[in-house]
Amino acid sequence: MQYFDTGKYQVLFVLVMVAFILINIFRAQNKDIFIRRIAGLNAIEDAVGRATEMGKPVLMVPGLGALNAISVQALNIFAHITRTAARFASPIRLCCGEAAVFAVAQEVIRDVYQSEGVPERMDGDSVRFVSDRQFAFAAGVSGIMLREQTAATFFMGEFFAESLIFAETANSIGAIQVASSTENTQTPFFIAACDYVLIGEEFYAASAYLTRKPVLVGSLVGQDWGKMLIASLILFGIGLESSQRKGWVEQMESDPAAKTSMMRLFSPEPPDPATKPVRQKHPEEGEAQ
Amino acid sequence: MIPWSFESGSTPLKIAIFVTLALGFGLFFALMKTPPRLRPKIAATFTFLAGLLYVGIWLWPTAHGREAGDIPANFTEGVAFWLEDTQSQFQNLSNILTSFLLLMGVFSLVRLHATRVSKQQRDWPFSLVLLICVALMTFIGYWDWLTVMNMKPEELEAMRDVTNQPFAVWMKDLLFDGLLQTMEAAMFSIIAFYILSAAYRAFRVRSVEATILLASAIIVMLGLLGMAENYWSIMIDNMGGLEDPNALVNNLRLEAITQFIRDNLQTPGLRAIDFGVGVGALAMALRLWLSLERGGSTS
Repeated sequence: MQYFDTGKYQVLFVLVMVAFILINIFRAQNKDIFIRRIAGLNAIEDAVGRATEMGKPVLMVPGLGALNAISVQALNIFAHITRTAARFASPIRLCCGEAAVFAVAQEVIRDVYQSEGVPERMDGDSVRFVSDRQFAFAAGVSGIMLREQTAATFFMGEFFAESLIFAETANSIGAIQVASSTENTQTPFFIAACDYVLIGEEFYAASAYLTRKPVLVGSLVGQDWGKMLIASLILFGIGLESSQRKGWVEQMESDPAAKTSMMRLFSPEPPDPATKPVRQKHPEEGEAQ
Repeated sequence: MIPWSFESGSTPLKIAIFVTLALGFGLFFALMKTPPRLRPKIAATFTFLAGLLYVGIWLWPTAHGREAGDIPANFTEGVAFWLEDTQSQFQNLSNILTSFLLLMGVFSLVRLHATRVSKQQRDWPFSLVLLICVALMTFIGYWDWLTVMNMKPEELEAMRDVTNQPFAVWMKDLLFDGLLQTMEAAMFSIIAFYILSAAYRAFRVRSVEATILLASAIIVMLGLLGMAENYWSIMIDNMGGLEDPNALVNNLRLEAITQFIRDNLQTPGLRAIDFGVGVGALAMALRLWLSLERGGSTS
């Protein structure tokens, strides 16, 4: 007999994670919460300072992804970098491969210069739409790096095969590279080729680390609670899996369609066609069929 | 509930287009006249409602076995049908917005390079080439589309023979497949050389971590090289691995070590990163949906 609808576990799990995040956002309003040091983010000021000393631009690339949580997070980090660059009067270049990201980036960068009280320092062409085709974008951005000899480069967001082209081109001109990709296939390339890399959730921790806003810091702690929950569930799962492994193997050998509770938990079965309700048809469409 | 689609050319469709346009322009001008401090609240409301739709789609029970023309059997199914239909319309809305934004991107690109050409700034000939390419691709692409749209089925069939292709189609193939795709493939192939130089830098023995990386990388690379793996296996066979399949020495086969590294070290590591990224994305999405990050980047 099945006591729980295992297909609903994922909903429950997400709701628990959401609760963790909201509770910690509330907690962080009245409490100072510690965040460990992230080397890649500490390097931002050094990199921008170096670019200022050399009189060369700072390049930022938010990847090829559409306007989603990842590119918004990348733009949050770039806003902080731009603020530092605006204070040092360093020129910036922000190259976009997606029109929607470009539109938002233009507004964000303009807002940063205005909030710093130096709108006249903003170059209207500092935020550029290069191309929405992957390798045309890669060629365009590499060309900008080589022509303008950028001193500091920041690659953050969704990157694919073009990541190594960017990283190696930046390395060839001696630029400091700080990178982060949410695509785990590209993270090793960045680790191999760049000076500093934000791995995995460090990318999402960046805005909390840089701004120390209670909402962001609380959300970060909520994420950590979520990860602790995941780790606990993994340990619990290891125990369950180990305890029933023998039975599982025997079941699978005798009947490949047999499902253990662990398999049902993560692969809920589609509804039984026999439970489909009886529905009437719209008169005109019913006749047409 | 309001239907999302009407019969092509029908009066209700024309009325719907007119009303939508009027509403759109009305909303546009109303937003222009709204005091700046109210605009974030309006944006937050729209963001919340749009997000709520997707949360609803995910949480609300899905009507299974739906067929064309079905009338919902009860309220739950009615909402499920509506959510399902609305999702595709939302997707269309998103595509329309993206098209407008693409126009903005192309405008920015053309303005930047046109200025560079007109003022004859550094490297202006490259900008001129870009402008000519943009104009040519747009013109030929549109010409090709018009040509193919106006062709009869037998003419389309005859086009399988390339000698029968109209000039517009031939030109589009030349520019797109012959030039653009080839240049993109050339850019892609550069990655092979970059992998080599990046690997060289990464594998230099500078620290304990780099040494472990180097050692495991060499084992995995050799394990994937057929010749090395074959000779190593012969050596293991000669050490008694072939006679006794359960011999301990069989664990030293290159493919076994490679598989162990990939299954027990690489995959768990990547999954751990995936968990972190997933939870981070959830938190970020929640902050955006509830507009908790208002002014987050610029304030």
